[in-house]
Amino acid sequence: MRKFTLSCLAIVISLLFGALILWLMGKDPVAAYMNLLQGSGLMEKARYSGRQNMFTDFMSFLDAMTPMIFASLSVALAMRGGFFNIGVSGQMLAAGITAHMLAGVIPSRVLVVLAGLLAGAIVGALIGWLKSRFNVNEVVTSIMLNSIIMYVITFYINVFYINPVSRQSKAVVDSARLTLSGFRWENLKMDIALAFPLAIIAALLLHWFLERTTYGYEIKAVGLSPKAAYYAGMNVNRTALFTMTLSGALAGLAGVSYFCGYLATIQPGVVPSMGFDAIAVSLLGGNNPIGCVFASFLITIISKGTVYMSSRQHIEPEIASLIAAFILTFAACSAVLDRRKK
Amino acid sequence: MLDMIIIDGLSFALPLFIMAIGGIFSEKSGVTNLALEGFQGFGAFIGALVVVSLSGVFGAASRVPYYAGFVFAVIGGGMFSLLHALLCIKFKADQVISGVVMNILALALTSFLTKSLNTSLFGNNANKFVLGASERITIPGLSEIPVVGAVFKEVYPFEIIIVLVAVVMWYVLYKTAYGMRLRACGDNPHSADAAGINVYRVRTLAVFISGCLSGIAGMSFAYSITANFSPDIYLGYGYLSIAALIFGNWSILPALFACLIFGFARSGGAAVINQLGLPSAYNDLVRPLPYVLTLLLLVFFSKHNRSPKALGQVYDKGRR
Repeated sequence: MRKFTLSCLAIVISLLFGALILWLMGKDPVAAYMNLLQGSGLMEKARYSGRQNMFTDFMSFLDAMTPMIFASLSVALAMRGGFFNIGVSGQMLAAGITAHMLAGVIPSRVLVVLAGLLAGAIVGALIGWLKSRFNVNEVVTSIMLNSIIMYVITFYINVFYINPVSRQSKAVVDSARLTLSGFRWENLKMDIALAFPLAIIAALLLHWFLERTTYGYEIKAVGLSPKAAYYAGMNVNRTALFTMTLSGALAGLAGVSYFCGYLATIQPGVVPSMGFDAIAVSLLGGNNPIGCVFASFLITIISKGTVYMSSRQHIEPEIASLIAAFILTFAACSAVLDRRKK
Repeated sequence: MLDMIIIDGLSFALPLFIMAIGGIFSEKSGVTNLALEGFQGFGAFIGALVVVSLSGVFGAASRVPYYAGFVFAVIGGGMFSLLHALLCIKFKADQVISGVVMNILALALTSFLTKSLNTSLFGNNANKFVLGASERITIPGLSEIPVVGAVFKEVYPFEIIIVLVAVVMWYVLYKTAYGMRLRACGDNPHSADAAGINVYRVRTLAVFISGCLSGIAGMSFAYSITANFSPDIYLGYGYLSIAALIFGNWSILPALFACLIFGFARSGGAAVINQLGLPSAYNDLVRPLPYVLTLLLLVFFSKHNRSPKALGQVYDKGRR
């Protein structure tokens, strides 16, 4: 409950900070924040183009939120196990390209999900293995792997897999895509995130796993104090490896729901920022799986609603990531307040 | 071709090196510093802003904006680093989290400010400040020595600045009272405190120094690799320098060695691709070379590494 209050405090302070900036730029903060909600399909816009209304906006909002849930779960699990997984972006890319390649041969949604799961898990396991076997700092490993994976994929896409018009990878076939794009219902046209229920289930499962099972307990014990866990007879190295494998698998799911769902292509030369934003989300959610879902909801409002806000208020869309960064900063501080009071 | 490898390798390795020295200062004092990436970006942002603003005042031939840019990059990086110090030392935040937060904040803040300042001050909607590439100096005489002479050929002025600053920093860390106190704070802050050292102040200053030095590095990258300031400057070089200092076991000379390896791996890879006549897309195959090398080296050296004993621990006077 305390954590919840502190997270809310961080959000409120950041939003006030953002409002101050908007006000200094001569904009109306209230209108801007309302635009955010409108852009996310949570408030009625003044005007809609054909075949669209608030509901279709909300469906694309869920579509954008799905990978964020997976990514933040990945960070949260690692954090509980004492790892700082800043390599979610790289794991996402690895999962995305694997799924893309596989979908080119056998277009199947199940296979796409499995491929993502596996590819992410392998990268995660590599980080965990290097840490437990060779004592290599996981933060450095993850960041190095992010760059290595990004460059290799960029090379692969540019040489073998490019769509020469869009300068992106070739699009994944619709029958393997995790988002039903342009689905017609009544007189509406919308994007349906098929992976969204999976994300909610994953959050619930992870919560159950951490709170109610022996493995989950061991992960938390190792995270809190590896030495104490060792003296209690737990296999610290194996647990660490398991934590990172699972965390990587979740990041892999984020990757496929992002690159083969929300988007259908991979842009070469870019490390997706979602992996870093997920750290903010996870911190905000108190590294709790259920908290992550709510925090993802909030951050997605900011990121998804920005397009509409910046077009209405003529503000640079970069303001969204700035507000998210403020939230992150204050969330890092609030963790401190929490520790101090104890 | 060998000349090219040495010239390009050095111009990449030296900024990395100065940033790694900053990291060593901070970490030797006991503050984990993953924020170097953010410091260098923010420093470069302030520096580039000053250059762009001044270039109208002075003529195109004037060197004043160039050096003013570096001075302000140092100030900018230093100022921004105080935020990390505030979070880590005053607010006792988790140092790893704070470091990553600083990087995200720096990226968000500078991209936003670059765009809005461009719109409001300079009347264009670009997301970058164009600097142009730095001039290069060839030292006559020395540069004519075979092979080794390449070290003195087409040198960026900032490389000379970096070497001078690095020597001073080496002296400060190992030969002055402040340097000794700083190292004491990283190994045993409680006894340092008992000896009358203000641990908070020493650590804050150490983080500030790391910010200043990163500012030099950021400005150098902006002038050599990208020729402008844009969010593209956040390419992970800050993390690369952290890898260098870990590999260098938190001391300055081995860190230089690590940086040189990274630099020559990078320029050597590019030269090989160039020599083989492969299309530029193949460059992406050799670009990860420094990173792969880092990973391998860390695998071999992490076991024997001796990090400062109190690294990453929040110093709390009450816990003595």
